[in-house]
Amino acid sequence: MEHAIEMLNITKEFPGIKANDDITLKVRKGEIHALLGENGAGKTTLMSVLFGLYQADGGEIRVNGQKVQIRNPNDANDLGIGMVHQHFKLVNRFTVAENIVLGEEDTKRGFMRYDAAIKRIENLSKQYNLNVDPHARVQDISVGHQQRVEILKILYRDANILIFDEPTAALTPQEIDELMDILQNLANEGKSIVFITHKLEEIRRVADRVTVLRDGKRVDTVEVSTTTNNDLAKMMVGRDVVFDIDKEPSKPKDEVLQVEDLSVYSPIRKKNVVKNMNFNVRGGEILCVAGIEGNGQTELVYGLTGLNPVSAGKIWVNGEDVTDLDIRERSLRGVSHVPEDRQRHGLVLDFPLSYNMVLQNYFQSPFQQKGFLQEHNILEHTNRLIDTYDIRTSSGAATLARSMSGGNQQKAILGREIDRGNSLLIAVQPTRGLDVGAIESIHKQIIAARDAGKAVLIVSYDLNEVFMLSDRILVMYEGQNAGVFDPQETTESELGLYMSGSKRSEDA
Amino acid sequence: MIVDVFNEIVSVISYVIPVMIALMIVALGGLFSERSGTINIALEGIMVMGGFIGAIVLHYLLNNTGLHIQISVFIAMIAGAVSGMLFSFFHAFASIRMKSNQIISATALNLFAASVGVFVARTVFGYRRINVDSSYRFDVAVLSEIPILGDLLFSSAFLSTYIGIIILIAVIIILYKTRFGLRLRSCGDNPHAADSLGVDVGRMRYAGVLISGLLAGLGGVFFVVAFQNRFESDVRGFGFLALALLISGQWRPQRIFVISILFALMRVVASRSDSIMGIQAIDIPTEIFRMLPYILTILVLAFTSKTSKAPEALGEPYDTGKR
Amino acid sequence: MKRIWEKIIHPFKVFGRKTHTLFANIPWRKLAGWLLYPLALLFGALVALKRKIGATRFGKRLDKAWLKVLHWSGEKPETIKVASSLLAVVFGLLFGFIVMLVVDPSSAGSGFLTIILGPFQQGMRSVGDTIFYAVPIILTGLSVAFAFRTGLFNIGASGQLYVGAFVAVYIGVQWDFLGPFHWVVASLGAMLAGAAWGAIPGLLKAFRNVHEVVVSIMLNYVSIYLVNLAVRSFIFNPTLNRALGPESSAHIPTLFLENIFPRSSINIGIFITLAAVFLFHILLNRTVFGYELKSVGLNRDAARYAGMKEKRNITLSMTIAGSIAGLAGAMMYLVPGTYIRILDVPVEQGFTGIAIALLGLSAPVGVLIAGLFYGAINRGGYFAQSLYREEIVNVIIAVIIYFSALSLFTQQMIAKYINRRTKKEIQLKESEGDVG
Repeated sequence: MEHAIEMLNITKEFPGIKANDDITLKVRKGEIHALLGENGAGKTTLMSVLFGLYQADGGEIRVNGQKVQIRNPNDANDLGIGMVHQHFKLVNRFTVAENIVLGEEDTKRGFMRYDAAIKRIENLSKQYNLNVDPHARVQDISVGHQQRVEILKILYRDANILIFDEPTAALTPQEIDELMDILQNLANEGKSIVFITHKLEEIRRVADRVTVLRDGKRVDTVEVSTTTNNDLAKMMVGRDVVFDIDKEPSKPKDEVLQVEDLSVYSPIRKKNVVKNMNFNVRGGEILCVAGIEGNGQTELVYGLTGLNPVSAGKIWVNGEDVTDLDIRERSLRGVSHVPEDRQRHGLVLDFPLSYNMVLQNYFQSPFQQKGFLQEHNILEHTNRLIDTYDIRTSSGAATLARSMSGGNQQKAILGREIDRGNSLLIAVQPTRGLDVGAIESIHKQIIAARDAGKAVLIVSYDLNEVFMLSDRILVMYEGQNAGVFDPQETTESELGLYMSGSKRSEDA
Repeated sequence: MIVDVFNEIVSVISYVIPVMIALMIVALGGLFSERSGTINIALEGIMVMGGFIGAIVLHYLLNNTGLHIQISVFIAMIAGAVSGMLFSFFHAFASIRMKSNQIISATALNLFAASVGVFVARTVFGYRRINVDSSYRFDVAVLSEIPILGDLLFSSAFLSTYIGIIILIAVIIILYKTRFGLRLRSCGDNPHAADSLGVDVGRMRYAGVLISGLLAGLGGVFFVVAFQNRFESDVRGFGFLALALLISGQWRPQRIFVISILFALMRVVASRSDSIMGIQAIDIPTEIFRMLPYILTILVLAFTSKTSKAPEALGEPYDTGKR
Repeated sequence: MKRIWEKIIHPFKVFGRKTHTLFANIPWRKLAGWLLYPLALLFGALVALKRKIGATRFGKRLDKAWLKVLHWSGEKPETIKVASSLLAVVFGLLFGFIVMLVVDPSSAGSGFLTIILGPFQQGMRSVGDTIFYAVPIILTGLSVAFAFRTGLFNIGASGQLYVGAFVAVYIGVQWDFLGPFHWVVASLGAMLAGAAWGAIPGLLKAFRNVHEVVVSIMLNYVSIYLVNLAVRSFIFNPTLNRALGPESSAHIPTLFLENIFPRSSINIGIFITLAAVFLFHILLNRTVFGYELKSVGLNRDAARYAGMKEKRNITLSMTIAGSIAGLAGAMMYLVPGTYIRILDVPVEQGFTGIAIALLGLSAPVGVLIAGLFYGAINRGGYFAQSLYREEIVNVIIAVIIYFSALSLFTQQMIAKYINRRTKKEIQLKESEGDVG
């Protein structure tokens, strides 16, 4: 069997993490090869190595049987490898044709000549059934068509190997159908395709074979037609779950958070990315929102905390309608928020720790009196939090937040949010990128907060964490509630099916 | 009566055209810088530098050589343009290579040009002022004989007018019809896209800023020759007026051309109000006309903030790491 | 009373007179100037012989002390910023010196000395003048710095200063019924006008997302023509083609300062400025409002996350910055002998304020020191006028701004240097240990 690409024993290490560990990927000519895995499984790193964005620490790459060195994207282009990135790289004000020819212009004495290029674009468009008008401006066409412009850009440069990085993330169902047809057309015309995804349904529709990655290692490469979705889900998420935390069974009390028909519009993706969500969280329980990153979790939390306005639906906190209240008012009514991006939202990095510990209640007594900050009270408060939440610093309350380690930054944020005495704690990816010690400490604090009667909503992309913390699990897929589960009665493989959209519960 | 009105219109137009050309050239310079992604509020300083060097060269040529006056002017223009370009290099270096704050480095250039001009003029010539007083207007042979049109465009004209028109056409062609223009614009709108297709963003941006220096320096000489007949340490805020023109024209050469007529007309009305009968009659303070272009620009900004045509990556240093 | 002052001041006075007469003696001046060249040579020799000196005991001791300094500043990031500011000043002065050398090598040295010794040319009189000229610059510097701390760039201090100046002079000319409060009301009026002028870009930034820099630049020019028009309409002195001067009751009082700094223009503007520095510090570092402003300036996203009203803060910050610049206008024009003229370029003090804010690292005390430095070389430029034009001072300031723009780079270089040197020391210690 002739292979278009052979990536043999690829190893790529980043400080503290082995992103790719001895991965071998072989893509046959003319096949659609899916690359399946959770976030952080190493898919994107592997493809970045192939596209020349990273250099592998070990292993070799062969293209059409020839051993090659790919030092940068230009090398990749010369070898006929093209990549459709998740975020398009298009000049909005240019026409489709201008975007495509940029960098490979056809000129006569420095003047642009478009005739031949436009003819070629039209031919390619016809050949692969892309239906793109070369004269249209990119800003005027749909996201689906913008993606086709990206595909045309690659085809125009005579690529035979096309990498698609989660190409369906930004598309509507209709556009996804059309993309699937396009992929099929491309393969039929002899192009080899690598298709990064975590949606089993899409794999089943177009892929010939699939390589599953988990934790930087290759699990297996299998024929799609001879494998069940259950097997794939198990391969993707299946690992020994560690229940290493002592946790009392929850004693749920009154409902603290109620969400009814909530929809949130994303100005970036220009559509509702949270659609008609219904759920509640009671005091004394932890609800984990599980799901693959990018299924609307971020926007759900933005909607709940007030960072983004909601486009429809209602939110109640402790029985009070907070849908139209701003961030400050919600925070005063009991909403605490440990944000996903702790450096962007959670901290003012150039403030000392003490100032960061009063970020939401600096204006309340005892931190404020007659408009003046009460430094000694802020310091006292900070020192107490440092002790209670085991925040390690170089010079105590005066330490600049920027100079603290990620784990201690997160402990500080969590301490601040728990300590405010609010009844609802929302935490997104509370342990992302932290070391084991910090993770354990943070998990303990979250459970302690639950035991103190708070309602806790955790958004996590890590199933291990979900099983460790949750009293109930809500799976989110494509902005919707795909099902609610009891962690005692479900398995990772079952959740995997719901997270990848191949199953959906009836009552959700 | 009709002849009087006609003569007056002709005289107003003969004042408007050189002002308009000087403004337009500098705004077109700013266009190159900003379409490539670098904010350039140093236009004023670059203009001063160009006008200053141009005036020195012209002063020397007029007094010490027997060169034809238009040739002297032409040489002065080249000198001003080159010095403007060299001067703008400092802005390019700071904002592109060093990724510094583009406003701060441009402010330094503005202050530097204003003070160095005066300093050198006063130390070398003894006064703030460099006189280049001479009669620069000329009649174009044959063409000036055409009725009406000849009076308007070809009699007692400035060399700068024709050079300016050639540059306008050249700018439109370069920006929209050449490979260089396509690449330059892509760097101002989406440098990441440009970089991913092998366009050297840094080089394009350097080119943009240096061309802006070239044209602003040239504009400085136009200003000295056609508007003031002398160099007096500043260019009366023409550089910032050109910036206003660039913004009001929404970074499009054609619109810049149209609005430059309006801006120049207001400026002429303000500065020559005593010699234009029609305006004397209306009795509006000249300051109002001077203010209007700036107020207009603020209004344009306030009401087009949602639909602004500003280059999308304007003012953002390009960082290859962020792709 | 006067006697006591004279006694206290006496030694300075003698020093002042002496230097004055000495400086008037031209051969000495040139000599002093020429002294700079041997000094430069000596410096060069020092650098060239560094190795040899480094080997001596003295050199080692010097090196050790230097390393101690480096260690200390390696632990305090602010010191690196201060060092980069100082470096910008050194580069600015160096460049100024080179320009002077090019223009007139024979008197460059003495001219340069004159500039840096500006405040002491005429003893207490020129010290007082230095402070007087520093006052509006410190205030515009504070105005720019205040906006910087909120993440905004107030390039419009010039226009705010100018409208403030007009209102101050207008009140100073027209409202002479105010008696002893005349100058106070005039100054307050200036602050109000500046505040209103600053609020425009603030509002447009907050609610229409228009870049404050562009609007401020436009407003600088609008302010010139508006003030020209207003001056012509209300307080014009047509024979001299300038505005009328304010009544003497509207002049900023000099109080006892007259006695300390005889024949100087100094007035209590310096105390008002010190109060502004103090208030700036208190407002920004001690109040809830300042906490919010700083949060918005340092991390807009986090401020929003914490529920702060960023739009209100942006508007208020520009308004306050405008009021400080307006006060600078009052301080500049509520004095005898200074008149608003019909201008057609913005007043330069607004732009010098940017330099001062950058040099002073946007900290109130830093701005105060940088502003006094400016006042000093400005006076120096005035005294150097016979040799070199005072514009040389602005050349120096421009170069300083340019190097401030590159400050991020210089800070990195300094940090690198410190790391390299301190590491070297660690290696040295290890090798010494080996020998031992």
